[in-house]
Amino acid sequence: MATANPIPENTLAAESAAADLLVFVTAMAPEHFKAVLANLQSAFSPESLVVATQNELPSDVSSSLRIVATPQSNGAWSLKPMDFVNAAKCGGEHGAKAFLILGPESDSLSPVALRSLADSVLKSSIDLAVPHYSLPSHAGLINSAILYPLTRAAFASRVRFPLSIDLGMSYRMAERLARVAEPISTANPAEVILWPVNEAIAAGFVADEVDVGRRAMPQPSDPDINSILASVTGSLFADIEAKAALWQRPRKPPLIRRPTADVDLTDTTADVARMVAAFQLANANLQEVWSLVLSPNSLLSLRRCSALDPATFRMPDSLWARIVYDFLIAYRLRTINRGHLLGALIPLYLAWVAGHFNVMAAGTPAERHIEAVAAAFEADKPYLVARWRWPDRFNS
Amino acid sequence: MQNRVDLSMQQATGNAVAQIYSENASISHHMSEALHQSLYRVLTLLMAVLPGILAFFVALLLFAAAGLFISWVLHRCLTWAKFDARISRKSGSDWAPASSPTEIVARVSFWICILLGLVIGVSAFDTSYASGAAPAISLLPYLTHAIGAALLLVAGVLIARFLSRSVLISAVNAQLQYARFLSLGVKWLVLVLTAAMVLDHLQVGENIVELAFGILFGGIVLTLALAVGLGSRDLVSRSLESHVEHPGERTHIPDEVAGASQQIRHF
Repeated sequence: MATANPIPENTLAAESAAADLLVFVTAMAPEHFKAVLANLQSAFSPESLVVATQNELPSDVSSSLRIVATPQSNGAWSLKPMDFVNAAKCGGEHGAKAFLILGPESDSLSPVALRSLADSVLKSSIDLAVPHYSLPSHAGLINSAILYPLTRAAFASRVRFPLSIDLGMSYRMAERLARVAEPISTANPAEVILWPVNEAIAAGFVADEVDVGRRAMPQPSDPDINSILASVTGSLFADIEAKAALWQRPRKPPLIRRPTADVDLTDTTADVARMVAAFQLANANLQEVWSLVLSPNSLLSLRRCSALDPATFRMPDSLWARIVYDFLIAYRLRTINRGHLLGALIPLYLAWVAGHFNVMAAGTPAERHIEAVAAAFEADKPYLVARWRWPDRFNS
Repeated sequence: MQNRVDLSMQQATGNAVAQIYSENASISHHMSEALHQSLYRVLTLLMAVLPGILAFFVALLLFAAAGLFISWVLHRCLTWAKFDARISRKSGSDWAPASSPTEIVARVSFWICILLGLVIGVSAFDTSYASGAAPAISLLPYLTHAIGAALLLVAGVLIARFLSRSVLISAVNAQLQYARFLSLGVKWLVLVLTAAMVLDHLQVGENIVELAFGILFGGIVLTLALAVGLGSRDLVSRSLESHVEHPGERTHIPDEVAGASQQIRHF
């Protein structure tokens, strides 16, 4: 005898598919979104996948792919708190075990990369899978100079790209990020940046990275270094300040990573001379501001650096670590207005970039130099802890 | 006969001298009386004012002591109630010891008491002033003007420093060679404006101050405009040239140059 109200096969399949993976695709151009859908179809079976997005569906989308609509959020070059809230909400509704968040221009990620990200969460019990991108040596410089070394030293994290725009997450990680993002997503959504790696470490979850190869990185609508550095670095400083009780505990340092092969070793057409000139101009004009933040030793070292020829310009790794730590301390103490503080950091960052390019031009691989910088940050962490706890003492 | 003449002459001379002496005595008497009267007036005025001054300082000292006590009590209570930890949990930020919420509350309460003490001291000065005395200058309204002017000056100096630093950092990051000059110009603009407002508040100079301020302010603005205009002359002419179309003379930017300017990606 036939049962009443038979459940259609596709609904059964959808229920079992909804339990596996939810892919949250952020706002992007229609052609990119179409390519993302094609990659997802290549990487996963449609039954195991639910795609949540605010993008308009292409006319020729496959009917086997299950797509749900999410609330609109402002398109951005990085993941916003609202994205995490929406992803967790959709995942909860569909009972997803794992989440994949794909940022703008993620069509450049290969299906193999997407599969690796998802499998690391589904099969390897990793709570947060962060992609390791293969970027050119002249890209992602803020990450190389500040974000990676500072995150590695403070949180003992080996993740190379702590502010990744694609993520793989377990359900509990997604819940945690949504809980953190909920109150701040309404406060100032345009400016707030969430730091998933830091949150994972604070929660005691497992975070690791997955090689995903090349990716086209979206650029901010305003590519001015002044606004990018201020917003990204300021956000990281604020997050470190909020988690002060966590990173001051002694933590096991990360495993030493083997330097990966550079993508472009010879491509060094950057305007080193222009950046050095910018640093020299700042050195002549911003001494009174820097003297409020940096130690006398650091100021003296900067004066010596400013006398160097652009072709031989170098900023020592230990000096750069001290500078970033001093600025972090000044950010916390509000020694000067925070906007002024981050503005005063820009010429120093440009000086580091110029030195970095000179190091590469001399034949050292970019990754080796960046690892050396990160090691300098780790070695000088006791200085940061001491100054954080006793801010009135000025260790020279 | 001769003796009589001599005697009469002597008598006349003596009378004249006595008259001079008596006149001198009356002049000195008048002078000493005038001095005594003016001294008396000064002392009277001082005696009229002194109780008021004493009342002012007593009120200020009392309220300062009360402020210290209230600040200490608040500090102890808030530390016991773990006020800093509660605020940190809500705001998510770690406070420096010198600027923790507890310290801020304690300091604010102390300075409120000092301010109250000043206000009450000034009103005590006013009420204890002898009603019979007629001072030439009415001090109290001018005192309030002076306090207002002092506050204006402090605010103006703070704003001038903030703006000059903002301009300096922005101009340096924009790689303007005259960044320091711009910053100084902005600082002095604000300071001159502040000084004019302070003098106007104190009702000093009036027309002269207004005229001098107008000339000075206008001069500074004109100097800055000339500096910026002359300094960016090349930039403006290049910008204008790029908007003019010349058929057959289009400038081809080599790919490597265009590529180089886009190669550095900070994010």
